[in-house]
This record gives sequence, C-alpha cells and structure tokens, in this order.
Amino acid sequence: MDFYLGLIQIIGVHTLLGLSAYCVLQTGQVSLAQAGFFAIGAYVAGMLTVLGHWPLIPALIVAAVLGGATACAVGFPALRVKGLMLVVATTAFGEAVRLFFFNFNYQLERGELKIGPHGGEGFRQIRYFPENGWSTLEVAIFIWVIVVIVMAALWWMDRTRAGAVLRAVGQDEFASQSSGINITAVKVTAMTVGGVIAGIGGGLFAHYTTHIEHVQFGVALASFAIAYPILGGLSNVFGTLIAVIFIQGFLIEGLRFMGDWRNLLFGGLIVLAMNVRPRGLIDENTSALFKRALWPRKDRAGA
Amino acid sequence: MKGLNIAAAALLCGAAICLSDGAAAQERIVKITGFGAKSGVVRVFGVNSEAAMKAAAEVINASGGVTLGDGTKAKLAIEFLDDRCNAEEGISVVRRIAATDAFIAVGPTCSNVAESLFGILQKKVNDPSDSGLQFPIIADVAAKGGLAKISEWAFRNVPSEFEMYKSLFAWLRKTHPNLKSIWGGVEKDFAHSNATFNVMIQQAESNQFQVLGKSEWLLADTTFSTQVREMKRANPEIVVISAHPFTTCGVLREMERQGVKPKLLIGLTSSSSIETLQGCAKQAEGIIIPTSFAPVNAEAQKAATNVAKHGGSADLHSAAAYEIMFILKDVIEKQKIMARPDTVAADRVKMRVGLAGLKTTFGLLGTVGRTEDREAIKPYLYVHAKKGTWQVLHTP
Repeated sequence: MDFYLGLIQIIGVHTLLGLSAYCVLQTGQVSLAQAGFFAIGAYVAGMLTVLGHWPLIPALIVAAVLGGATACAVGFPALRVKGLMLVVATTAFGEAVRLFFFNFNYQLERGELKIGPHGGEGFRQIRYFPENGWSTLEVAIFIWVIVVIVMAALWWMDRTRAGAVLRAVGQDEFASQSSGINITAVKVTAMTVGGVIAGIGGGLFAHYTTHIEHVQFGVALASFAIAYPILGGLSNVFGTLIAVIFIQGFLIEGLRFMGDWRNLLFGGLIVLAMNVRPRGLIDENTSALFKRALWPRKDRAGA
Repeated sequence: MKGLNIAAAALLCGAAICLSDGAAAQERIVKITGFGAKSGVVRVFGVNSEAAMKAAAEVINASGGVTLGDGTKAKLAIEFLDDRCNAEEGISVVRRIAATDAFIAVGPTCSNVAESLFGILQKKVNDPSDSGLQFPIIADVAAKGGLAKISEWAFRNVPSEFEMYKSLFAWLRKTHPNLKSIWGGVEKDFAHSNATFNVMIQQAESNQFQVLGKSEWLLADTTFSTQVREMKRANPEIVVISAHPFTTCGVLREMERQGVKPKLLIGLTSSSSIETLQGCAKQAEGIIIPTSFAPVNAEAQKAATNVAKHGGSADLHSAAAYEIMFILKDVIEKQKIMARPDTVAADRVKMRVGLAGLKTTFGLLGTVGRTEDREAIKPYLYVHAKKGTWQVLHTP
C-alpha cells in the first residue's frame, strides 16, 4: 500500500508542477523557467523547516510567495520576447537558478553535524514528515488537499472573466490588445500564479524526497513541466492531471517491469499519444462530452 | 482389463504429481532485489551490479543455496530494477520492493539516490516518533562518504575513499619526493566525484603537494578543451582527475591532443574499470587509482569470470555487489530468517540486526571490517593502467 501512496504523492507534486506551466501556457507562452521556481520553493521550504525549525505550512507559504515574486520579477523582462526567444530566455533563467543552487553553500553547525545546502553535494536530511510522525497516507492526503485547492482555484478562474482574458491573450494577442487588454499585465500575472504553484510544488518535493540537489531542477524537469499540460490538453485543469498519471503512473512506474525497453517505449508512447490526440488527452470535445454526461439537465437547458 | 490399465496409469500420474508437488515445496526460492541505474550515462554500473548479483547467487545455489530459519533449503533468485539514477524513482523502487515479501534490497548506484532513499528510512531504530520506512538496504555502488549515517536501516559495502586517498598521497610523497605541483580536474555536478575531489585535494595538501588550481566539467560534457588549456597553462607535474570513465576518457583524449603530459596521473576509484580501458586505454596509460577490487587471487579471478558470464564486468563496485550476496547468505542463516509472507516484518528486523552486528565479512581481496556506523573497511590496493589492462602497482 505504501508504494501506491508514494506514487500518489509523486503524482500530486508533479501535477502542481504541470499546473504551474498550465497557467503560463494559457496565455500562449512557453516557459521553461518553471523548474527554477520549483527549485526556489524546494530550497526555501527545506531551509525553513530544517534550519529554522518552521512548521511546514508557513514554510510552504513563504516558498509560494518567493516563487511567485521571482516569477513576477522574471516575467517583466522575459515576456517582452515571444515564441522561441521566450523559450531561450526562460531556459537561461532556469539554468541560472540551478547553477545558483549548485554554488549555494549555507550550512549551520548542529552538534557534530553540519546541515543545510552544500553546493553541488546538495541539501540532505529534509525529514520533516518522518520526524513528525507523518504516515505515508497522511503525507499523500496533505499533498492532495493542496493539489485539490490549486485545481479548484484554477478551475474557478477558468470560468471567470480572468480566465477568459487569459485564453483571449493566448489565442490572439493582437485582438486582445485591440480590445483593451493589457497583455503584459496578463502574461506577468499568469507567470506569477505559475511561480506560486511551482513554489508550493517544490516545497513539497523537497520534503518527500528528503534530499535535493541542483541536478534535479534541470532542463529535463522543465520539459516535463510543459509536457504535462500540452500532453493533457489545455481545455481544463484535468488534462494536466491525466497527463501526469499517464507519464508518472503508467510510463514510468507501470512499465518498470519492461527493464531496458521502458525508455524506448516511453518516448514512443508520448509521440503516439500526441499523434492520436493532437490537442491533448482531454481536448475541448472530450471536455464537452464529460460535461454533457455529468450535467445533462443544464446542458439541455442551455440548448 | 483396459479400464484397469487406465485406472492404474491415472493413479501413477496422480502419485507423480503429488510427489513433484512435495519436491517443489521442499525447494523454496528467496528473491533478492537489487536496484540501480540501468539507463543513462551511468547505466553500466547497474548492468555490472545485476551481473555480479546473479553470478554470486549462481555460486551460492550451486553449493546448495541458503538454509532458512525452519531448516529448509532455498535457492536465491535475483531481480534488478532500474531507478535511472533518479531520486524520485529510487524512492518509488524501494517502496515497491518494501511492498513485497522482501526483507532486504541491494542498491543503489548513485549517491544522490542513496541520500534520498536513506532519508525516507527511519533514522533511529525503535524510535516511535519517527515514521520512516523500516526496511534494510545495503548499498553496493553509491560511494559518497558517510551515507550510511543517515539511517540505522542503511548499510554499505563500499570502500572508504578517504582512507584510500589518504594512503595513496602519503605513498606518493614517499615514492615521488621530487614531484610537487598538482592540478585537479573534477566532474563538478556528480556528488560522488565532487565529494571525492575534496578528499583528494585535502590529502594532497596534507602531504605537502602544491595545488596549482582546478578545472571543472559536467557529467554530460563532451568537450574539454578549455579545461585542459587551463591545465596546460599551469604545467603541473601531477594531474588528479575525479571523474567517472566517460568524462575521464574525454579529458585524457583532450590532454593528448593538446600535448599535456604530466609526470603522474591519478584517477577516481570508479574509473578503475573496464570502461576506462575500453574508452581510452592508450591515453590512460600509467594512471594510478586506488581500488578495492582487482583479480589478484583465485577467488577474485573466479568472481570476475562468473560476472563476465552474466554479461557484466567485475570492478570495485560490482565486486561489492558480489560480496553482498555472500554477506546476505551468512546473515540469513545466522539470524534464522524464515522468508515467509507472515514473517516479513520480523525478517527485516532480523536482517538489520544481523547486518549491524557484523564485525567482519567476506571480501574478494580479504576480510572486510565493519564499522559502528554500518560502513565497510575494505582492503585495497593501487592499480595502474598498463598496456590495456589494470595491473597492481602497490599493495599498502
């Protein structure tokens, strides 16, 4: 059972990572900086609980605020460019963050031990969960409460004017600008919200892996972050969740028994999925289908 | 009459089936699961560990297998899972193994995975406030210093690189009194290389070598011209390279291209493997590396042959996996492990107690000592690359 609960934790944290990219993708921008915000959240939350003995929730709040503030600061200059140039700019930012933590050394003496981030050797012993007696089930529930709150907030936002504005900017920037939308403000806001979510995700990641180091926050993680919402579809937040379950649950864990063939199949199945479902696993039509199945009366009334 | 014959045949068949069932019940299988990197840049370490575990299990099984707590004999079966040198996957793999009847896991390859894994284990045994996983793990490859301290459920059978390089630099001081200057090269983003590089430099300075500077590169780098140019400019007498075979070979080739010819080359323990010789035997000629394995006696030669039969090569890491199988056999028998689904929790505790209580263990180069903090004190020697083979240079 512990194995499945552990997997549920991983899916939860990766869903947060994917949702952070989902926010930015809504505005039509591709950001590879999410791994950087995730790293900031991981290190900040880890340092607060391990070095500062903070409880986890305030540590996650600070991680979220710092992730969001960094995203906002990065968003202003980075979002002046578009398309491939933005990909390059955000990749450079992500790498800069990774290299910062690669060189970041802040250790405190605790008895015979030195604890805290230790450059390339990483930051070990972030053992808040086991040291406070949290069971695997409790950790999984805690992570999923956060995931549900974030998903519900984004779901709600999708249905408000803010969501419509985000999508409008994503679908046609010039038309949106012509109708009076401040597209810089919209893009920076989306980036900031993405940074907040990535910061929370990073904070949780640090606490369930117990050890973090710069290599975990490289381009591969940034690619996963944007792959989840793209593969899952941008029509609603559930697409990202489905994609995370597909990649983490099925491709990585489910195919582990295939040994060396797993990596080959991994890429092949993603290509196949994108070919079969080019607009994502949950596209607009699938969303509408679900909606009709779940709320048939409302649908009829609308018709 | 025909009916009688059919009835007799049916009876015989039934009896044969019953007997064969009985025989099967007598011969039990104990599965030992290993895990490590079987994909990516460090794939070869996982491949070698799996081959070594299978080779050792074959030897143990050929000599009758292991005797379980209830007196029955069991054969060892090996399963090996790929964690891709990724901490998250390593945690998942261990949770997966711990969800079965396994009472021990062997691995991982990468120190960064070990850091995370050992972190999710209970730190102190019998601490009711710590909800960490209570499952023993013994590492064969992850070599970064002091990892077993993280949890009392963590054990290692890896050599102490601190002791090896301490001894090596003291020996170099004695045997090469005229050499003074050193240049260091390090694969900066790999925890093991980085940690060991610090040990190397510290020991070099303690032995009055003058460290002129260092070059840094990354595990996935393929070009090293800038780093070697820095090295060339410093013109050191000794070059110390703390990197795995893939980038060690890249740097050595670049050194040859730029005409950098130090009087002495020192390498990382992990590079004393067949991969270095396959990749750059000519350029690595003369490189000195301390190692805890070389086929220098009959037992080690037999192990190397057995590992090769299973598609791997014996080096200091896979030899550790080979030795671990014999350590496990010993503990299973001494602790009377039952290996039954209803005794899993008790078997894990027994295995931990057994491993923690060991003072010495079997080693291919001689008896291996055990420390209080669950690490190994392994015999070692210095090898150097000579005409495409590793040859023993000195036995301290």
